[in-house]
Amino acid sequence: MPEQQIPHKNQPVVIIGAGHSGVAVATGLRTKGWQGRILLLDAEKETPYERPPLSKELLKAGAPNESTPLRKEKFFQDKGIERVGGLTVESIDRPGKTVLLSDGSRHAYHRLVIATGSRARALTVPGADLPGVLALRTKDDALELKRVLLPGARVAIIGAGYIGLEVAAAAAARGCEVTVLEFQDRVMSRVTSAPVSRFFENVHEQKGVRFVFGAAVTAIEGTDWAEHVVTADGARFPADVVLTGIGVIPNQEIAEAAGLHCKDGIFVDDDGRTSDPEIYATGDVTRFTSRIDGQSQRLECIQNAMSQADSVAAHITGQPTSDPEIPWFWTVQHGVRLQTAGVRHPDDDVVVRGTPSEGKFSVVYLRNGRLSAVDTVGGLSDFRPAKKLIAQAAAIDPALAADPSISLTDAALQPSL
Amino acid sequence: MSNNNKVTVVDREGATHNLEWEPDQTLMEALRDNDLPVLASCGGTASCATCHVFLEKDVFENLSERSEDELELLVEAEGYQECGSRLSCQVDFSRNLDGVTVTLAPEG
Repeated sequence: MPEQQIPHKNQPVVIIGAGHSGVAVATGLRTKGWQGRILLLDAEKETPYERPPLSKELLKAGAPNESTPLRKEKFFQDKGIERVGGLTVESIDRPGKTVLLSDGSRHAYHRLVIATGSRARALTVPGADLPGVLALRTKDDALELKRVLLPGARVAIIGAGYIGLEVAAAAAARGCEVTVLEFQDRVMSRVTSAPVSRFFENVHEQKGVRFVFGAAVTAIEGTDWAEHVVTADGARFPADVVLTGIGVIPNQEIAEAAGLHCKDGIFVDDDGRTSDPEIYATGDVTRFTSRIDGQSQRLECIQNAMSQADSVAAHITGQPTSDPEIPWFWTVQHGVRLQTAGVRHPDDDVVVRGTPSEGKFSVVYLRNGRLSAVDTVGGLSDFRPAKKLIAQAAAIDPALAADPSISLTDAALQPSL
Repeated sequence: MSNNNKVTVVDREGATHNLEWEPDQTLMEALRDNDLPVLASCGGTASCATCHVFLEKDVFENLSERSEDELELLVEAEGYQECGSRLSCQVDFSRNLDGVTVTLAPEG
Protein backbone atom coordinates (compact mmCIF):
# COMPACT_ATOMS: atom_id res chain seq x y z
CA MET A 1 0.00 0.00 0.00
CA PRO A 2 1.40 3.45 -0.84
CA GLU A 3 2.36 5.19 2.37
CA GLN A 4 -0.06 8.06 1.92
CA GLN A 5 -2.95 5.58 2.02
CA ILE A 6 -2.13 4.00 5.38
CA PRO A 7 -4.99 4.92 7.70
CA HIS A 8 -4.06 6.71 10.93
CA LYS A 9 -0.36 6.45 10.07
CA ASN A 10 0.49 9.49 12.22
CA GLN A 11 -1.03 8.04 15.38
CA PRO A 12 1.05 6.57 18.23
CA VAL A 13 1.77 2.86 18.67
CA VAL A 14 3.03 1.67 22.04
CA ILE A 15 4.90 -1.62 22.25
CA ILE A 16 5.43 -3.26 25.63
CA GLY A 17 8.54 -5.40 25.57
CA ALA A 18 11.74 -5.16 23.55
CA GLY A 19 12.65 -8.78 22.97
CA HIS A 20 12.87 -10.24 19.47
CA SER A 21 9.19 -9.74 18.82
CA GLY A 22 8.75 -6.23 20.22
CA VAL A 23 11.76 -4.96 18.32
CA ALA A 24 10.55 -6.64 15.14
CA VAL A 25 7.14 -4.97 15.44
CA ALA A 26 8.79 -1.57 15.88
CA THR A 27 11.10 -1.97 12.90
CA GLY A 28 8.35 -3.60 10.83
CA LEU A 29 6.01 -0.67 11.39
CA ARG A 30 8.61 1.82 10.16
CA THR A 31 9.57 -0.32 7.18
CA LYS A 32 5.90 -0.55 6.22
CA GLY A 33 5.46 3.22 6.36
CA TRP A 34 4.09 4.02 9.81
CA GLN A 35 4.93 7.66 10.58
CA GLY A 36 3.51 8.19 14.05
CA ARG A 37 5.20 7.84 17.39
CA ILE A 38 6.57 4.37 18.10
CA LEU A 39 7.24 3.94 21.80
CA LEU A 40 9.15 0.74 22.60
CA LEU A 41 9.06 0.02 26.33
CA ASP A 42 11.80 -2.21 27.71
CA ALA A 43 11.91 -3.47 31.29
CA GLU A 44 15.68 -3.86 30.86
CA LYS A 45 17.90 -0.83 30.56
CA GLU A 46 20.40 -1.62 27.89
CA THR A 47 20.03 -2.05 24.16
CA PRO A 48 17.86 -5.10 23.34
CA TYR A 49 19.96 -8.16 22.64
CA GLU A 50 19.86 -11.66 21.17
CA ARG A 51 18.63 -14.30 23.62
CA PRO A 52 19.87 -17.62 22.17
CA PRO A 53 23.56 -16.91 22.89
CA LEU A 54 22.86 -16.43 26.61
CA SER A 55 22.81 -20.16 27.27
CA LYS A 56 25.39 -20.96 24.61
CA GLU A 57 28.28 -18.68 23.58
CA LEU A 58 28.07 -16.25 26.48
CA LEU A 59 28.65 -18.94 29.12
CA LYS A 60 31.90 -20.10 27.55
CA ALA A 61 35.08 -19.38 29.48
CA GLY A 62 36.79 -16.32 28.07
CA ALA A 63 33.83 -15.33 25.89
CA PRO A 64 32.86 -11.66 26.05
CA ASN A 65 30.13 -10.81 28.53
CA GLU A 66 28.02 -9.45 25.74
CA SER A 67 25.25 -10.67 23.51
CA THR A 68 24.82 -9.21 20.04
CA PRO A 69 22.32 -6.34 20.03
CA LEU A 70 19.13 -7.03 18.09
CA ARG A 71 19.65 -3.60 16.54
CA LYS A 72 22.28 -1.00 17.28
CA GLU A 73 21.21 1.90 19.49
CA LYS A 74 21.77 4.20 16.53
CA PHE A 75 19.32 2.18 14.46
CA PHE A 76 16.50 2.99 16.88
CA GLN A 77 17.45 6.65 16.74
CA ASP A 78 17.69 6.68 12.96
CA LYS A 79 14.27 5.08 12.65
CA GLY A 80 12.66 7.41 15.16
CA ILE A 81 11.81 4.54 17.47
CA GLU A 82 11.67 5.83 21.05
CA ARG A 83 13.15 3.08 23.15
CA VAL A 84 12.61 3.63 26.86
CA GLY A 85 14.57 1.25 29.06
CA GLY A 86 14.29 0.35 32.73
CA LEU A 87 10.57 1.01 33.05
CA THR A 88 7.65 -1.35 33.35
CA VAL A 89 3.99 -0.90 32.53
CA GLU A 90 1.77 -0.64 35.59
CA SER A 91 -1.57 -0.81 33.86
CA ILE A 92 -3.47 -0.45 30.62
CA ASP A 93 -6.44 1.92 30.50
CA ARG A 94 -8.47 0.52 27.63
CA PRO A 95 -11.31 3.07 27.57
CA GLY A 96 -8.78 5.94 27.76
CA LYS A 97 -6.35 4.16 25.39
CA THR A 98 -3.31 4.91 27.51
CA VAL A 99 -0.66 2.97 29.43
CA LEU A 100 0.64 3.95 32.84
CA LEU A 101 4.38 3.42 33.40
CA SER A 102 6.29 2.74 36.60
CA ASP A 103 7.67 6.30 36.58
CA GLY A 104 4.11 7.65 36.72
CA SER A 105 4.03 8.83 33.11
CA ARG A 106 1.05 8.06 30.92
CA HIS A 107 1.20 7.49 27.18
CA ALA A 108 -1.60 7.46 24.66
CA TYR A 109 -1.84 4.72 22.06
CA HIS A 110 -3.78 4.29 18.87
CA ARG A 111 -2.71 0.66 18.83
CA LEU A 112 -1.00 -1.20 21.67
CA VAL A 113 1.23 -4.25 21.24
CA ILE A 114 1.99 -6.54 24.18
CA ALA A 115 5.28 -8.36 23.64
CA THR A 116 6.18 -9.11 27.23
CA GLY A 117 7.53 -12.61 26.56
CA SER A 118 7.84 -15.26 29.20
CA ARG A 119 9.81 -15.85 32.35
CA ALA A 120 11.42 -18.92 33.83
CA ARG A 121 8.97 -21.08 35.75
CA ALA A 122 9.93 -20.97 39.42
CA LEU A 123 10.55 -24.10 41.41
CA THR A 124 8.06 -24.16 44.28
CA VAL A 125 9.75 -26.51 46.75
CA PRO A 126 11.13 -25.46 50.16
CA GLY A 127 14.51 -23.81 49.77
CA ALA A 128 13.94 -22.78 46.15
CA ASP A 129 14.51 -19.15 47.17
CA LEU A 130 17.98 -19.80 48.62
CA PRO A 131 20.88 -17.89 47.10
CA GLY A 132 22.66 -20.16 44.67
CA VAL A 133 19.41 -21.31 43.06
CA LEU A 134 19.41 -19.67 39.66
CA ALA A 135 17.36 -19.55 36.50
CA LEU A 136 18.43 -18.32 33.08
CA ARG A 137 16.34 -15.90 31.09
CA THR A 138 18.10 -12.53 30.86
CA LYS A 139 21.64 -11.38 30.25
CA ASP A 140 22.01 -10.58 33.94
CA ASP A 141 21.00 -14.16 34.74
CA ALA A 142 23.61 -15.45 32.32
CA LEU A 143 26.35 -13.28 33.79
CA GLU A 144 25.47 -14.36 37.31
CA LEU A 145 25.61 -17.99 36.23
CA LYS A 146 28.93 -17.43 34.50
CA ARG A 147 30.41 -16.08 37.74
CA VAL A 148 29.55 -19.23 39.67
CA LEU A 149 30.33 -21.90 37.07
CA LEU A 150 33.88 -22.28 38.36
CA PRO A 151 36.13 -25.29 37.81
CA GLY A 152 35.28 -27.96 40.38
CA ALA A 153 31.94 -26.42 41.32
CA ARG A 154 29.21 -28.98 41.87
CA VAL A 155 26.33 -27.95 39.63
CA ALA A 156 22.89 -29.51 39.97
CA ILE A 157 20.57 -28.82 37.08
CA ILE A 158 16.87 -29.40 37.53
CA GLY A 159 15.22 -30.13 34.22
CA ALA A 160 16.72 -31.68 31.08
CA GLY A 161 15.19 -29.36 28.48
CA TYR A 162 17.08 -27.05 26.11
CA ILE A 163 18.16 -24.62 28.81
CA GLY A 164 19.17 -27.25 31.36
CA LEU A 165 21.19 -29.17 28.81
CA GLU A 166 22.87 -26.14 27.25
CA VAL A 167 23.95 -25.02 30.71
CA ALA A 168 25.05 -28.58 31.53
CA ALA A 169 27.28 -28.53 28.46
CA ALA A 170 28.72 -25.11 29.30
CA ALA A 171 29.32 -26.09 32.93
CA ALA A 172 31.01 -29.35 32.00
CA ALA A 173 33.26 -27.52 29.55
CA ARG A 174 34.25 -25.15 32.34
CA GLY A 175 35.32 -28.04 34.55
CA CYS A 176 32.27 -28.24 36.80
CA GLU A 177 30.90 -31.47 38.20
CA VAL A 178 27.45 -31.63 36.62
CA THR A 179 24.39 -33.61 37.68
CA VAL A 180 21.13 -33.25 35.77
CA LEU A 181 17.95 -34.20 37.62
CA GLU A 182 15.01 -34.91 35.34
CA PHE A 183 11.51 -36.04 36.28
CA GLN A 184 10.93 -37.87 32.97
CA ASP A 185 12.91 -40.93 31.87
CA ARG A 186 14.92 -39.17 29.15
CA VAL A 187 16.20 -35.74 28.13
CA MET A 188 14.17 -33.26 26.04
CA SER A 189 11.18 -35.60 26.25
CA ARG A 190 8.74 -32.79 25.52
CA VAL A 191 10.37 -31.78 22.26
CA THR A 192 11.93 -34.86 20.73
CA SER A 193 11.76 -38.64 20.37
CA ALA A 194 13.66 -41.32 22.25
CA PRO A 195 16.41 -41.89 19.63
CA VAL A 196 17.41 -38.23 19.78
CA SER A 197 17.20 -38.16 23.58
CA ARG A 198 19.41 -41.21 23.88
CA PHE A 199 21.93 -39.76 21.46
CA PHE A 200 22.26 -36.53 23.45
CA GLU A 201 22.40 -38.36 26.77
CA ASN A 202 25.38 -40.23 25.42
CA VAL A 203 27.05 -37.04 24.16
CA HIS A 204 26.70 -35.49 27.62
CA GLU A 205 27.84 -38.60 29.47
CA GLN A 206 30.98 -38.74 27.34
CA LYS A 207 31.76 -35.27 28.69
CA GLY A 208 31.21 -36.30 32.28
CA VAL A 209 27.64 -35.14 32.83
CA ARG A 210 25.64 -37.42 35.10
CA PHE A 211 21.89 -37.92 34.68
CA VAL A 212 19.33 -38.91 37.27
CA PHE A 213 15.98 -39.74 35.65
CA GLY A 214 12.64 -40.08 37.43
CA ALA A 215 13.91 -37.49 39.89
CA ALA A 216 11.16 -35.54 41.66
CA VAL A 217 12.81 -32.65 43.48
CA THR A 218 11.14 -32.05 46.85
CA ALA A 219 13.47 -29.55 48.53
CA ILE A 220 16.67 -27.59 48.36
CA GLU A 221 18.60 -27.55 51.60
CA GLY A 222 21.14 -25.06 52.82
CA THR A 223 21.64 -22.46 55.51
CA ASP A 224 22.50 -19.26 53.68
CA TRP A 225 23.29 -20.79 50.26
CA ALA A 226 21.98 -23.86 48.45
CA GLU A 227 23.89 -26.98 49.51
CA HIS A 228 21.80 -30.03 48.58
CA VAL A 229 19.00 -30.93 46.22
CA VAL A 230 16.67 -33.51 47.76
CA THR A 231 14.46 -35.85 45.73
CA ALA A 232 11.29 -37.76 46.64
CA ASP A 233 13.17 -41.02 47.20
CA GLY A 234 15.24 -39.33 49.90
CA ALA A 235 18.42 -38.97 47.84
CA ARG A 236 20.44 -35.81 48.51
CA PHE A 237 22.66 -34.32 45.83
CA PRO A 238 25.36 -31.91 47.00
CA ALA A 239 25.43 -28.72 44.98
CA ASP A 240 27.28 -25.41 45.01
CA VAL A 241 25.05 -24.10 42.25
CA VAL A 242 21.49 -25.12 41.39
CA LEU A 243 20.07 -24.17 38.00
CA THR A 244 16.38 -24.66 37.33
CA GLY A 245 15.25 -25.15 33.76
CA ILE A 246 11.68 -26.33 34.13
CA GLY A 247 9.98 -24.32 31.44
CA VAL A 248 8.56 -20.83 31.15
CA ILE A 249 5.31 -19.06 31.92
CA PRO A 250 3.89 -16.20 29.86
CA ASN A 251 4.10 -12.65 31.24
CA GLN A 252 0.40 -12.03 30.74
CA GLU A 253 -0.47 -10.27 34.02
CA ILE A 254 -1.01 -6.74 32.67
CA ALA A 255 -3.17 -8.16 29.88
CA GLU A 256 -5.21 -10.17 32.36
CA ALA A 257 -5.63 -7.16 34.62
CA ALA A 258 -6.89 -5.21 31.61
CA GLY A 259 -9.52 -7.88 31.01
CA LEU A 260 -8.05 -9.39 27.86
CA HIS A 261 -8.85 -13.04 27.20
CA CYS A 262 -5.94 -15.12 28.54
CA LYS A 263 -5.35 -18.67 29.63
CA ASP A 264 -1.73 -19.74 29.81
CA GLY A 265 -1.02 -17.05 27.22
CA ILE A 266 -2.84 -14.08 25.73
CA PHE A 267 -5.23 -15.32 23.05
CA VAL A 268 -4.54 -13.82 19.62
CA ASP A 269 -5.91 -14.39 16.13
CA ASP A 270 -3.89 -14.86 12.93
CA ASP A 271 -3.32 -11.10 12.77
CA GLY A 272 -2.03 -11.00 16.34
CA ARG A 273 -5.15 -9.27 17.70
CA THR A 274 -6.25 -9.93 21.26
CA SER A 275 -9.87 -9.89 22.42
CA ASP A 276 -9.60 -6.08 22.20
CA PRO A 277 -9.17 -5.25 18.49
CA GLU A 278 -7.04 -2.21 19.31
CA ILE A 279 -4.57 -4.30 21.30
CA TYR A 280 -2.23 -6.85 19.76
CA ALA A 281 0.06 -9.38 21.39
CA THR A 282 3.02 -11.17 19.90
CA GLY A 283 5.78 -13.66 20.72
CA ASP A 284 6.18 -16.04 23.65
CA VAL A 285 3.33 -14.45 25.62
CA THR A 286 0.66 -15.45 23.08
CA ARG A 287 -1.61 -18.44 22.66
CA PHE A 288 -3.06 -19.06 19.24
CA THR A 289 -4.54 -21.69 16.97
CA SER A 290 -1.97 -23.42 14.80
CA ARG A 291 -2.66 -22.96 11.10
CA ILE A 292 -1.11 -26.37 10.52
CA ASP A 293 -2.98 -28.66 12.88
CA GLY A 294 -5.70 -26.49 14.43
CA GLN A 295 -4.37 -26.95 17.95
CA SER A 296 -4.24 -24.18 20.51
CA GLN A 297 -0.60 -23.56 21.34
CA ARG A 298 2.09 -21.32 22.67
CA LEU A 299 5.40 -21.41 20.84
CA GLU A 300 8.64 -20.35 22.43
CA CYS A 301 10.79 -19.69 19.44
CA ILE A 302 12.23 -16.84 17.45
CA GLN A 303 10.46 -17.90 14.28
CA ASN A 304 7.12 -17.37 16.01
CA ALA A 305 8.25 -14.09 17.56
CA MET A 306 9.29 -12.76 14.14
CA SER A 307 6.36 -14.10 12.20
CA GLN A 308 3.73 -12.76 14.59
CA ALA A 309 5.56 -9.43 14.65
CA ASP A 310 5.31 -9.29 10.87
CA SER A 311 1.58 -10.05 11.00
CA VAL A 312 1.00 -7.35 13.61
CA ALA A 313 2.97 -4.68 11.75
CA ALA A 314 1.20 -5.64 8.53
CA HIS A 315 -2.25 -5.56 10.10
CA ILE A 316 -1.70 -2.21 11.80
CA THR A 317 -0.56 -0.69 8.52
CA GLY A 318 -3.28 -2.43 6.50
CA GLN A 319 -0.94 -4.52 4.40
CA PRO A 320 -0.89 -8.20 3.46
CA THR A 321 1.17 -10.56 5.59
CA SER A 322 3.75 -12.90 4.18
CA ASP A 323 3.38 -16.65 4.64
CA PRO A 324 4.87 -17.62 7.99
CA GLU A 325 7.93 -19.85 8.12
CA ILE A 326 7.34 -23.31 9.54
CA PRO A 327 8.15 -23.16 13.29
CA TRP A 328 11.69 -24.17 13.99
CA PHE A 329 14.00 -24.51 16.98
CA TRP A 330 17.63 -25.17 17.66
CA THR A 331 19.98 -26.08 20.45
CA VAL A 332 23.72 -26.69 20.56
CA GLN A 333 25.19 -28.95 23.24
CA HIS A 334 28.88 -29.86 23.40
CA GLY A 335 29.16 -28.47 19.89
CA VAL A 336 26.48 -30.81 18.52
CA ARG A 337 23.55 -29.07 16.91
CA LEU A 338 19.99 -30.31 17.14
CA GLN A 339 17.73 -28.42 14.81
CA THR A 340 14.03 -29.09 14.55
CA ALA A 341 11.48 -27.97 11.98
CA GLY A 342 7.78 -28.37 12.64
CA VAL A 343 6.05 -29.30 15.88
CA ARG A 344 6.07 -32.99 16.62
CA HIS A 345 3.27 -34.77 18.47
CA PRO A 346 4.21 -37.59 20.84
CA ASP A 347 2.16 -40.11 18.84
CA ASP A 348 3.69 -39.27 15.45
CA ASP A 349 5.40 -42.16 13.65
CA VAL A 350 9.17 -41.97 14.02
CA VAL A 351 11.55 -42.74 11.16
CA VAL A 352 15.30 -42.61 11.83
CA ARG A 353 17.39 -41.51 8.85
CA GLY A 354 21.03 -42.47 9.13
CA THR A 355 23.08 -43.97 11.93
CA PRO A 356 23.04 -42.17 15.28
CA SER A 357 26.34 -43.74 16.32
CA GLU A 358 28.01 -41.80 13.50
CA GLY A 359 26.92 -38.55 15.11
CA LYS A 360 24.98 -37.29 12.14
CA PHE A 361 21.41 -38.31 11.45
CA SER A 362 17.86 -37.07 11.14
CA VAL A 363 14.58 -38.20 12.60
CA VAL A 364 11.47 -37.74 10.53
CA TYR A 365 8.02 -37.52 12.12
CA LEU A 366 4.96 -38.63 10.19
CA ARG A 367 1.36 -37.91 11.12
CA ASN A 368 -1.18 -39.86 9.06
CA GLY A 369 1.62 -40.50 6.60
CA ARG A 370 2.47 -36.82 6.15
CA LEU A 371 5.62 -35.05 7.24
CA SER A 372 4.92 -33.15 10.46
CA ALA A 373 8.40 -32.46 11.82
CA VAL A 374 12.05 -33.30 11.48
CA ASP A 375 15.01 -33.33 13.84
CA THR A 376 18.44 -32.95 12.31
CA VAL A 377 21.37 -33.91 14.49
CA GLY A 378 24.91 -32.84 13.64
CA GLY A 379 23.94 -31.78 10.14
CA LEU A 380 21.53 -29.51 8.33
CA SER A 381 21.07 -31.02 4.89
CA ASP A 382 17.51 -32.22 5.64
CA PHE A 383 16.46 -28.98 7.29
CA ARG A 384 15.34 -26.81 4.39
CA PRO A 385 13.82 -29.62 2.32
CA ALA A 386 11.87 -30.70 5.43
CA LYS A 387 10.55 -27.20 6.03
CA LYS A 388 9.19 -27.11 2.49
CA LEU A 389 7.64 -30.56 2.74
CA ILE A 390 6.05 -29.77 6.10
CA ALA A 391 4.54 -26.60 4.64
CA GLN A 392 3.06 -28.74 1.84
CA ALA A 393 1.92 -31.45 4.29
CA ALA A 394 3.65 -33.84 1.92
CA ALA A 395 2.91 -37.57 2.11
CA ILE A 396 6.15 -39.47 2.68
CA ASP A 397 7.21 -43.02 1.92
CA PRO A 398 8.65 -44.17 5.27
CA ALA A 399 10.96 -46.75 3.67
CA LEU A 400 12.52 -44.13 1.37
CA ALA A 401 12.72 -41.60 4.19
CA ALA A 402 14.71 -44.09 6.27
CA ASP A 403 17.42 -44.17 3.60
CA PRO A 404 19.71 -41.15 4.03
CA SER A 405 21.19 -41.64 0.56
CA ILE A 406 17.80 -40.66 -0.88
CA SER A 407 16.91 -37.01 -0.50
CA LEU A 408 13.92 -36.28 1.66
CA THR A 409 12.31 -34.55 -1.30
CA ASP A 410 12.55 -37.78 -3.27
CA ALA A 411 10.92 -39.66 -0.41
CA ALA A 412 7.79 -37.56 -0.89
CA LEU A 413 4.97 -39.34 -2.65
CA GLN A 414 3.62 -37.45 -5.62
CA PRO A 415 0.00 -36.48 -5.13
CA SER A 416 -2.21 -38.68 -7.32
CA LEU A 417 -3.94 -36.76 -10.09
CA MET B 1 31.75 7.74 7.50
CA SER B 2 34.72 7.06 5.29
CA ASN B 3 35.32 3.74 7.02
CA ASN B 4 32.13 2.32 5.59
CA ASN B 5 31.99 0.11 2.54
CA LYS B 6 29.71 0.95 -0.32
CA VAL B 7 27.52 -1.94 -1.40
CA THR B 8 25.15 -2.27 -4.31
CA VAL B 9 22.27 -4.63 -3.65
CA VAL B 10 20.08 -6.16 -6.31
CA ASP B 11 16.76 -7.13 -4.73
CA ARG B 12 14.44 -9.97 -5.78
CA GLU B 13 12.59 -7.70 -8.20
CA GLY B 14 15.85 -6.70 -9.87
CA ALA B 15 15.91 -3.17 -8.44
CA THR B 16 19.24 -1.86 -7.17
CA HIS B 17 19.93 -0.17 -3.84
CA ASN B 18 23.09 1.56 -2.72
CA LEU B 19 23.92 1.26 0.94
CA GLU B 20 26.67 1.78 3.46
CA TRP B 21 28.11 -1.25 5.22
CA GLU B 22 29.50 -0.28 8.61
CA PRO B 23 32.62 -1.98 9.99
CA ASP B 24 30.86 -3.58 12.99
CA GLN B 25 28.18 -5.22 10.88
CA THR B 26 28.07 -8.53 9.11
CA LEU B 27 26.78 -8.28 5.56
CA MET B 28 23.42 -9.64 6.80
CA GLU B 29 23.15 -6.87 9.37
CA ALA B 30 23.94 -4.23 6.78
CA LEU B 31 21.20 -5.59 4.51
CA ARG B 32 18.64 -6.00 7.29
CA ASP B 33 19.31 -2.64 8.92
CA ASN B 34 18.85 -0.93 5.56
CA ASP B 35 15.35 -2.38 5.22
CA LEU B 36 16.11 -4.98 2.60
CA PRO B 37 13.78 -7.99 2.86
CA VAL B 38 16.16 -10.35 4.63
CA LEU B 39 14.32 -12.36 7.27
CA ALA B 40 17.48 -13.55 9.08
CA SER B 41 15.30 -15.42 11.53
CA CYS B 42 18.21 -17.07 13.37
CA GLY B 43 19.89 -13.77 14.15
CA GLY B 44 23.04 -14.68 12.26
CA THR B 45 24.02 -18.14 13.49
CA ALA B 46 24.02 -20.04 10.17
CA SER B 47 20.87 -21.90 11.15
CA CYS B 48 18.09 -20.76 8.84
CA ALA B 49 19.45 -19.74 5.42
CA THR B 50 16.98 -16.86 5.10
CA CYS B 51 19.84 -14.43 4.40
CA HIS B 52 21.13 -16.26 1.31
CA VAL B 53 22.88 -14.00 -1.20
CA PHE B 54 24.86 -14.36 -4.41
CA LEU B 55 28.26 -12.74 -4.73
CA GLU B 56 30.29 -12.22 -7.86
CA LYS B 57 32.71 -15.06 -8.53
CA ASP B 58 35.92 -13.12 -7.93
CA VAL B 59 34.56 -11.70 -4.67
CA PHE B 60 33.35 -15.11 -3.57
CA GLU B 61 36.71 -16.72 -4.24
CA ASN B 62 38.52 -14.31 -1.96
CA LEU B 63 36.31 -15.04 1.06
CA SER B 64 37.05 -17.64 3.71
CA GLU B 65 35.64 -21.14 3.26
CA ARG B 66 32.01 -21.88 4.07
CA SER B 67 31.46 -23.93 7.23
CA GLU B 68 29.81 -27.32 6.97
CA ASP B 69 26.55 -25.96 8.45
CA GLU B 70 26.51 -23.07 6.02
CA LEU B 71 27.21 -25.31 3.06
CA GLU B 72 24.54 -27.88 4.01
CA LEU B 73 21.94 -25.14 4.25
CA LEU B 74 23.03 -23.50 1.01
CA VAL B 75 23.16 -26.63 -1.10
CA GLU B 76 19.46 -27.15 -0.45
CA ALA B 77 18.60 -23.49 -1.02
CA GLU B 78 16.80 -22.22 -4.07
CA GLY B 79 19.18 -21.12 -6.81
CA TYR B 80 22.29 -22.41 -5.04
CA GLN B 81 25.48 -21.37 -6.79
CA GLU B 82 28.59 -23.36 -6.05
CA CYS B 83 30.78 -20.30 -6.67
CA GLY B 84 28.56 -17.51 -5.43
CA SER B 85 26.13 -18.54 -2.70
CA ARG B 86 26.79 -17.34 0.84
CA LEU B 87 24.81 -16.81 3.98
CA SER B 88 25.29 -13.08 4.39
CA CYS B 89 25.42 -13.51 8.18
CA GLN B 90 28.69 -15.36 7.70
CA VAL B 91 30.33 -12.60 5.68
CA ASP B 92 32.23 -10.23 7.96
CA PHE B 93 33.13 -6.68 7.08
CA SER B 94 36.37 -6.30 5.20
CA ARG B 95 37.83 -3.33 3.34
CA ASN B 96 38.38 -5.70 0.42
CA LEU B 97 34.63 -5.87 0.02
CA ASP B 98 34.20 -2.16 -0.64
CA GLY B 99 32.10 -1.64 -3.75
CA VAL B 100 30.77 -5.18 -4.10
CA THR B 101 27.46 -6.07 -5.66
CA VAL B 102 25.23 -8.41 -3.67
CA THR B 103 22.18 -10.12 -5.14
CA LEU B 104 19.43 -11.38 -2.85
CA ALA B 105 18.64 -15.04 -3.50
CA PRO B 106 15.03 -16.13 -4.02
CA GLU B 107 13.10 -16.95 -0.86
CA GLY B 108 12.18 -20.52 -0.11
